[in-house]
Amino acid sequence: MDIGPIWRAMLRNKAGFILIALQIAVTLTILVNAFGIIQESTDKISTESGIDEANTFTLASVLFTDYEREQRKVLIDEDLDLIRNTPGVVNAVASNSFPLRQGGWSMSLALEPGNQTAESVNTAIYFVDEHGMETFDLGLVDGRNFLPEQVTWDDPDDNTWPAYAIITEELAKEIWPDETVSYVGKTVFISDDDPVNIVGVVDKMQAPWPNWDNVVERSMLVPQRRPSEFVRYIVRAEPGMRDQLMPEIEAALAASNKDRIIRDVRTMDHTRKLAYVGDAAMIKILGFVVLLLTLITALGIVGLTSFNVSRRTRQIGIRRALGATQPAIIRYFLIENSIVSAVGLVVGAALAIGLNIAMVEAFALEPLAWYVIPIGMLVLFIVGQFAVTGPARRASNISPAIATRSG
Amino acid sequence: MLVMKDVYKIYRTDTVETHALRGLSLTVEEGEFLSVTGPSGSGKTTFLNIAGLLEELTSGTYELDGRDISSLNDRERSRVRNEKIGFIFQSFNLIPELNVFDNVDVPLRYRGFDRAERHRRITECLERVGLASRTKHFPAQLSGGQQQRVAIARALAGEPRFLLADEPTGNLDTNMADSVLDLLAEINASGTTIIMVTHELTLADRARRNIFVRDGELHDGPPELHFATAASA
Ligand SMILES: Nc1ncnc2c1ncn2[C@@H]1O[C@H](COP(=O)(O)OP(=O)(O)OP(=O)(O)O)[C@@H](O)[C@H]1O
Ligand SMILES: [Mg+2]
Repeated sequence: MDIGPIWRAMLRNKAGFILIALQIAVTLTILVNAFGIIQESTDKISTESGIDEANTFTLASVLFTDYEREQRKVLIDEDLDLIRNTPGVVNAVASNSFPLRQGGWSMSLALEPGNQTAESVNTAIYFVDEHGMETFDLGLVDGRNFLPEQVTWDDPDDNTWPAYAIITEELAKEIWPDETVSYVGKTVFISDDDPVNIVGVVDKMQAPWPNWDNVVERSMLVPQRRPSEFVRYIVRAEPGMRDQLMPEIEAALAASNKDRIIRDVRTMDHTRKLAYVGDAAMIKILGFVVLLLTLITALGIVGLTSFNVSRRTRQIGIRRALGATQPAIIRYFLIENSIVSAVGLVVGAALAIGLNIAMVEAFALEPLAWYVIPIGMLVLFIVGQFAVTGPARRASNISPAIATRSG
Repeated sequence: MLVMKDVYKIYRTDTVETHALRGLSLTVEEGEFLSVTGPSGSGKTTFLNIAGLLEELTSGTYELDGRDISSLNDRERSRVRNEKIGFIFQSFNLIPELNVFDNVDVPLRYRGFDRAERHRRITECLERVGLASRTKHFPAQLSGGQQQRVAIARALAGEPRFLLADEPTGNLDTNMADSVLDLLAEINASGTTIIMVTHELTLADRARRNIFVRDGELHDGPPELHFATAASA
């Protein structure tokens, strides 16, 4: 209702207001875009890997003595027997990798034998035996698990790929986008021309690379065991048993064979932290930047308002003498700040949209959700009004006697 | 009607107590034109500030139009100032960022008048002080006399019952001072009670009643008398 004269008075003293409006605009621009990135990273960090992370741990066995191939197979069998027979263990498997490990094996799949084409689909490969399904706690949505007789040891004289595979639903959809009934029984070609028969489909299992953006949900279980010097064991414990089992199994394995060392005994929680350490840092830094910027803007508003209050001490006294109540004086500064904020926020919203379009193009980010900018505007508006109340309150305490006292 | 009884005003700072008013009692009737004179520091402005509800008194009673002022809260005091009292200050006290029109508008907005009513009153009052053609001017673009006329228009726009003026001509030359006094006399003639602080005896003479303040105490009567006694004492 008093906007007219307040606005006209502001026009007589533009500089400070324009600077603060610009500061608000820039803050909004950075705030909402940083928030967009934070939101995306948070989404990424919180996606599930598909395995029973809470109860699972991993460890590696590294031979430092020359073992024959057959000796290595025996050792792996002994190790797995030992682990699986430890009370509290649900199941265990030896595999080349596991989700979130950030290192693993990928292969290209094609619908026709022969060289890979543009239509080929990349997938992560997990070599497992028939215990893989239960160890990883995968949900079978179609088909069945590997039969024990389908699991073979890798043969150095025969490079043919195992003929069976279990794949994730995501991967299946990618390979056969038009299939509506079942993927089980279908054949896909790997390593140029080795046919692979799909025996089962699982709902979810991430590839080992969480940053493998579009393809992180594509995984394939291959029923093959590999007798290397370096073997990773994945152990799934009963709920509550993990922390107790970790040292127990580490010690038991170490004691059972002195020709190797046991290392990298890690919970999946720990592995997850390592996998997302960059994203978590990014969230923290951006969050800090956003807070800092908001704080600086608030301080800027406090500063400008304080300055205006001192500059107008006399005029405030006069207004009081002419009948302004204390709330009316506070309202004056709130309205003034609303005008500055409105200008800054509208400019900022335009800048924010512009920056977001540029960032989406440059960094393949998701566009901002529709509500981010309005919420950002609301937050900054409220912060600004809060910032004003301090100095405005001081203004309202100026005595009307100022009008007659200071000449 | 304005009635003060045994009013004391004591300013306290960390080190000193100043007794600015000591037991001042005064009744001002409806329609009076009262001048207040007295030496510098005698308490004239203090008296006016208390009369105009700009400051609170330390002890004593003050009734304005039959209402006990000391029982009012800040909001009610603001309202009384806004509705019943017009102020004219020595240094004009126009708001520098607002043009003439908006300056006169200030008390009317606090009063809550609608746009048309405000417009009517502003135009009327500016015409009355002879500045209807200067509505878009800013205070800095006006002479001192013109600024004081705008201030008078602002004081009149709310049609107050009381007009309080503290040295209204103190910053003006004699000609301008005379014309401002003419204006005040005319305003008083139309029914508004005026209390004017001044230290110029010639101006005080134009009031219909004179009071003299010394050391925070009040003495009724023509100022010449008191100045004479003060000088001979
Ligand atoms: N806010 C204050 N704090 C302390 N002392 C004050 C304050 N205001 C006025 N005084 C003191 O009160 C006394 C009366 O001051 P007042 O302004 O009423 O005098 P005055 O008659 O208006 O003088 P002048 O003719 O110079 O304007 C003075 O001694 C003055 O120093
Ligand atoms: Mg004075």
